[in-house]
Amino acid sequence: MNFAESEVQTDTRDLARRIFEQRMGSQELAGFDDAPEGRFDSSLWRTLAEAGLLGISVSDLHGGMGLEFAALAPLLEEAGRALAPVPIIEHVVLAVAAIEIYGDRQQCERWLPAALAGDSLFTAALPHAAEVNCTPEGEALRLNGSVALVPLANLAQYILLVVPADRGQNVLLVDPRAPGVTLHPQRFTTGETRFSLSLDDVLVPPEQLLATAAAGQAAGQWLLQRALTAHCLHQLGVCERMLEMTAAYTGERQQFGVPIATFQAVGHRAANIYIDLECLRLTARQAASRLSQELAADTEIAIAKVWAGDVGHRTSYAAQHLHGGTGIDRDYPLWRYCLFARANELALGGSACHLSTLGEIIAAGGARCS
Amino acid sequence: MQVEFSAKQVRLRDELRAYFAALMTPELQAECQRDLGEGGGPLWRAALRQMGADGWIGLGWPEHLGGRGMGPVEQFIFVEEVMRAGYPFPFLTTESIGPVLAEYGNAWQREELVPRILAGDLLISIGYSEPEAGTDLASLRTRAERESDGWIINGQKMWTSLAHFCDYTWLAARTDPAAEKKHRGISLFLVPHSDPGWHCTPVHTLGDVRTNATYYDNVRVSDQHRVGEINGGWRLITGQLNRERLSLVNVGPTAVLFDAVADWATHTHTVDGRRVIDQDWVRANLARVRCGIEALKLMCYRQVWAMSKGQLGMAEASAAKVYGSEFFIEAFRALGEILGQGSLVRADSCPQGALTGRVERLYRTASIITFGGGTNEIQRDIIAAAGLLMPRATR
Repeated sequence: MNFAESEVQTDTRDLARRIFEQRMGSQELAGFDDAPEGRFDSSLWRTLAEAGLLGISVSDLHGGMGLEFAALAPLLEEAGRALAPVPIIEHVVLAVAAIEIYGDRQQCERWLPAALAGDSLFTAALPHAAEVNCTPEGEALRLNGSVALVPLANLAQYILLVVPADRGQNVLLVDPRAPGVTLHPQRFTTGETRFSLSLDDVLVPPEQLLATAAAGQAAGQWLLQRALTAHCLHQLGVCERMLEMTAAYTGERQQFGVPIATFQAVGHRAANIYIDLECLRLTARQAASRLSQELAADTEIAIAKVWAGDVGHRTSYAAQHLHGGTGIDRDYPLWRYCLFARANELALGGSACHLSTLGEIIAAGGARCS
Repeated sequence: MQVEFSAKQVRLRDELRAYFAALMTPELQAECQRDLGEGGGPLWRAALRQMGADGWIGLGWPEHLGGRGMGPVEQFIFVEEVMRAGYPFPFLTTESIGPVLAEYGNAWQREELVPRILAGDLLISIGYSEPEAGTDLASLRTRAERESDGWIINGQKMWTSLAHFCDYTWLAARTDPAAEKKHRGISLFLVPHSDPGWHCTPVHTLGDVRTNATYYDNVRVSDQHRVGEINGGWRLITGQLNRERLSLVNVGPTAVLFDAVADWATHTHTVDGRRVIDQDWVRANLARVRCGIEALKLMCYRQVWAMSKGQLGMAEASAAKVYGSEFFIEAFRALGEILGQGSLVRADSCPQGALTGRVERLYRTASIITFGGGTNEIQRDIIAAAGLLMPRATR
């Protein structure tokens, strides 16, 4: 048993925080709020690449650091704290990992060096957002359907998709500029532009397939576990920042001649969020630790995602309320966090969805407390 | 972070689980049920001495204090297993007063009393609250006055749980009524229940658990019975409470209950032939409880780990206490809903150990720890001040 952060995790956290703090002040963030091209800071992305942060969990064979999944946790938490406009989950946690683990040598050599160097950008969408029909066409696959809310589909070289197959799932890369792909901008709740993809007879050549059918099912499951855990860790960073702002603001804001933090009604609501955050922090990091150790993690991930949903919602509304009007004033940074908390809450299923998953595990005889 | 026990710790847990399966004879279980989960009967005492003789109570304690030197994590595994087994373990004595005595006690307390605690031979109740001093504990009025080389104690304590079968009360008394800050005028004493001036009357509660009012009528103790510095009792009280909070929210019994209710719902059918667990609302209740158990388990493990590194934080201890105490109530409610009206049948009308009787009683007794061990409002104050560095109101 060890609840300490490893040395590598501390280094990653310090490095990521330093970069984000230097580069992502309120003013810089505001520049990405309604960007029509999507929420992406290419110069920050390059800085992260140069610092080696895009390759933390990639094998050194491909130019990465070769560390376990948990080494990514501080990067995800810090990205949440900073609301960094960079697609760490889609690019690092999903696309790059899928290519490394499921791609063949050629695919790895073709894509990974550029992806780690920040020269080519990948994005991703998992089945929750996809309604796609796949039919084989020789060695290739023909796709028809649509995928909602893909971030940075306009800028990405490829989009990692996990789509239903006859028997299992297909994990593949779609070129957003391929014939038959149309991007429709959608405004996401955070204000950023995302894209709905229309796929009309899009041919995906065999060199863009990473895993299909039964193998694709396993790959899709593996990716889903990582994506869910990543959203929990990102949510942790988002919520920690909201609570810090709330504690600081209520400590300074005076009414009736005293800081409002001295009212128990205020202090206790903040204390409840502190407790909530303990629950999210511990369950999310446990999920990451189990993925690192390659232990069964479905139960732990479902639990973490229930907490991520509930805690995100409660933290957001407590923070807004305790800030009063300041919390919703767009000149103060809290509002942005509230929207990202909501986005993480619903990413890949909200609390009710994951309670249902956990309920199924329990009904099948699992998730016992030993 | 790594949550899982080491292979050695897993072996220890398995050994303890087998040990308690053998120790908890039907006769002992029946006695514990009769005594409403607080113990004190002859079989209960014999079992406690047995655990002491077998070296379990002091498992994690340093060897020079009579322990086996294994550490806080192993000690926690022991406590979790003894509580899972349904044995009403006197953790206030062993897990909270014992360590404070070992750290701050005088030679007699360390060399005579601590070994008897680890032998399962000495039990201590806690005398803090008074009729007029609860949450504002520092306003307590029980007096201890110097008399030649000893002390003479007068006053009354409330909620002195387990006192009717304990050997001593760990008593907070005012020794300096003139102290500028009232919490700086309090000292700690070990009052032997054999003193003719000590009296105890029962207080019966909603959950049927007996607690006590205790009376101190010219009780005379030697200075050897004082713990720590004169007027330095407050620090011992907060140290003891910090440790108590962790034991109060031990997740073991609720984890056992969850498994039992989940298994029951898997093997029981509704009138229309479905399994109980195939109803969506049953799964939702189970899943909610399971999420809470996991969070509480991690909070407790993290604290035990922090303790093993000497870093037990105040805000974290308070967070676990608030969360655990409020979660238990919701958990017993949700599990009771699954069992339905069956969970309204009292244990003495159920077969021994039946799930229904257990949940009936747990739900009925669950409020105690939201205010006991330091009320949750004070814990939230501590979290806001120590965990969030928010300014606090002057009181």
